[in-house]
Amino acid sequence: MRRVEVDGNPVEVANGATILDAARVAGSWVPTLCFDERQAPFGACRVCLVGVEGSPKPLPACTTPCRDGMVIDTREASARRVARAVLELVLSELPEPPAPHTELARVADGLQVGEPRWPGVTHRVETDFRHPYLALRHELCISCGRCVRACDEVQGAFALTATGRGFGANVAAGLDAGFADSTCVSCGACADTCPTDAITEILLLNGLPSSERGAT
Amino acid sequence: MTIDRFDHTVSTTCGYCGVGCRLEAHARLGRIASISPALDGPANEGHTCLKGRFAHQFTRSRDRLTSPLIREGGRLRLASWEEAQHRIVSEFGRIKDSHGPDAIAGLASSRGTNEECYAMARLMRAAVGTNNIDNCSRVCHSPTSFALRKSFGLSGATGSFTDIDDAEVAILLGVNPTQGHPVVGARIKQAALRGCKLITIDPRRIELADYGVLHLAPRPGTNAAVVLGLCHVVRRDGLLDEPFIHERTEGYEALEELLDEYDPDVVEGITGIPAEDLEQAARIYGEARTGSILWGLGVTEHKYGSEVVQLLCNLAMMTGKVGRPGSALLPLRGQNNVQGSSDMGALPDTYTAYRPVSDEETARSFEAAWGVRLSRQKGYKIPEMFDAAIAGKLKAMYIFGEDVAQTDPDVAHVAEALESLEFLVCQEIFENETTKFADVVLPASAFLEKDGTFTNAERRFQRVEAAIDPPGAAKPDFEIITTVSRMLGHEMGWESPWDALDEIARLTPAYAGVSKERLGRRGLQWPVRADGTDSPTLYDTVFDRPGGRGSFAALPYKVPGDAPDHEFPLVLVTGRVLQHYNAGTMTRRTHNIELVDRDWLEIHPIDAARLWISDGDKVSIRSRVGQTELHVRLTERIEPGHVFTSFHFPEARTNLLVGQSADVNTSCPEYKVVAVDVRPMAEQPAFTPVLTTVG
Repeated sequence: MRRVEVDGNPVEVANGATILDAARVAGSWVPTLCFDERQAPFGACRVCLVGVEGSPKPLPACTTPCRDGMVIDTREASARRVARAVLELVLSELPEPPAPHTELARVADGLQVGEPRWPGVTHRVETDFRHPYLALRHELCISCGRCVRACDEVQGAFALTATGRGFGANVAAGLDAGFADSTCVSCGACADTCPTDAITEILLLNGLPSSERGAT
Repeated sequence: MTIDRFDHTVSTTCGYCGVGCRLEAHARLGRIASISPALDGPANEGHTCLKGRFAHQFTRSRDRLTSPLIREGGRLRLASWEEAQHRIVSEFGRIKDSHGPDAIAGLASSRGTNEECYAMARLMRAAVGTNNIDNCSRVCHSPTSFALRKSFGLSGATGSFTDIDDAEVAILLGVNPTQGHPVVGARIKQAALRGCKLITIDPRRIELADYGVLHLAPRPGTNAAVVLGLCHVVRRDGLLDEPFIHERTEGYEALEELLDEYDPDVVEGITGIPAEDLEQAARIYGEARTGSILWGLGVTEHKYGSEVVQLLCNLAMMTGKVGRPGSALLPLRGQNNVQGSSDMGALPDTYTAYRPVSDEETARSFEAAWGVRLSRQKGYKIPEMFDAAIAGKLKAMYIFGEDVAQTDPDVAHVAEALESLEFLVCQEIFENETTKFADVVLPASAFLEKDGTFTNAERRFQRVEAAIDPPGAAKPDFEIITTVSRMLGHEMGWESPWDALDEIARLTPAYAGVSKERLGRRGLQWPVRADGTDSPTLYDTVFDRPGGRGSFAALPYKVPGDAPDHEFPLVLVTGRVLQHYNAGTMTRRTHNIELVDRDWLEIHPIDAARLWISDGDKVSIRSRVGQTELHVRLTERIEPGHVFTSFHFPEARTNLLVGQSADVNTSCPEYKVVAVDVRPMAEQPAFTPVLTTVG
């Protein structure tokens, strides 16, 4: 067991548990975007940064294992400042604000990040509605990698790939030929984990019968 | 996914396969808007497949049955519930008076809840007065149930799906989990990627074979020889767990004598599996510290299916691989409640928890609870019901949730039986092949519209709760069955399925601690003691047989009921695909139809070339009992000499081809070995001369 303190609350967690695990035990909210408990921690999005006593800089809660005696401050000022900036940059790339039910919207809410300060260029709207159930809306992708890992680590279909770099980073089904021409087994684990609705259920999106849909 | 966009969300259990995924069903405006997996589902751990997640639109399909129908002047017409129920009561009364209660039979459904199956069994036993009650596990896993009871004592998996995560080796015999049980399939694939050694044994090279260390492709119908061969090598090479055999089992000596005959060369002659592959497989399994065995209908749906399950139990006992984490025998049950429907005593020979109808003490306890005298005579199994109907001994049937005219073997025989009946009641969500013969059709409910419990392939009772109401005048099956019983003069005295569950727990020691509250979100694995302690692993110290010892079975290989010959040179194997479910009643009414729109006949390119068949061609398939037509797909996943098709589309009528050969112990049909002749369809002639009629 490891004994740590989260926001003043002492908690005990199993060996190998992360700061995020401890924060959840303590009841402290730590925002996450690339984390999904069904997948191995990834540590890509940087919104789960927290302050740890003695650490010169903020640490990602989802990938940092607890050490005995750790004193954790989930609302430490510099950690929160970085997390907010990261989130603001993510939001600035989207052509529209995230839908209220999405995890991204809730994290933005929790971190009190509103309209980003940087207007500039946003992702081009690029949708693929060819699959009977799964809609791809590339413009909403924030490259958290959750869909790719759900496909690999949960289903084992290996149908999704992270593509592009920097601003052009996105996700592709198969060799960008769409779900139907990939190894996709239509399990929907990608739509289930997506924090932005970049991959979502078509039936929730518009209810259009498939005959009226097409690739754009 | 949050519930913002939905009116309400209900946690329930999936009604497709036997994995038992826990689902969150989100409803809006009285319809299912979306389904997501429950993160705390013990069997699915936050995952589900395209059937559980997406294939729910059938619940509001336009052709749902929304009113009772009764036959009048040869046609089914709309009727009120009162009219339909009165017709049932008067016809059952008439037939019972003139021919006795055993002229009536009922079928419970492995698609229904435990409480519905229990109520159906009580309806037949107490309200009608016959043990003529069976359920569709007869045609899938009845051999598993029979064999596990013989070898170990209880009719269920010895462990849980988590044993797959802990296994060093997993043997998959006659099961294709990535298609038939996708969430377990995904679990097995992840285990293999982490280093679990998979040995797949199947006439087809299934997807998981690509992730395994060894694939063995036996000739269909030769599973017994494969398992005997594995046991032979385990014994020959000193891989036995002798203390286990000595302390916990009986009957090993007789098996030893038999095993001498099955050296790998002999087995190669029978099965076609190279001797060195068989030896390697036996060593990988025998040398591992933990190993689990999974099987499906590729084992059971054979003439000697139940014996092969007993042989698998031998293999596990010889190596001490049972009753420990990572070492389990896991039959992958087909339907959502194929375990529960039999557990509930919807069988012609047993009450709940497989206690014989001839057992005086058990029968008395039910007589005391139900206040009626109960028959001690076994009833008819499903195939016997059809034979009895044709022979004129069975006059009426009440079929709940099973399309026998589509899914049972030898369709022509089934149709003749249904036509011979004087009175047939079908309780269904859609009209189907069987309702065409019905005199009364009762509109029932889908799993998203009912309350109760299902029991999954891990023996886990799990709660089912309604997310939406049934459409129109359709009613939950539980209400329909209890109302019919009341009108027949037997009041069951339950207000809800939960009252029935309490009665089941009260009358069944093995389920004593089961209650709605205790089941909670994670369910309970039977046996459940009165204090609520459940049993994720069976047989960790003793087997559930007299004396507490596991029983070895010395059963030799015997030839299957059908074999290829000069006239029917190919062997047809049937099975499922991922996108559809059994008769396709539900999945064909969803967008899954866009993913797969027909049954294909898979054939090896060598056979195709010999028969002048190209990919996509339409062919005629003829067996000893029937003929149908399918489009072909060429694939090297199947061995030359074998063909494969799924059975999801009624128009393909695959079961016209299947004869009446069945498991010797349980009458489970031999769906997996059918000798057939495949021919290209005659091309349309370019010009057809018009003939003048003579005379």
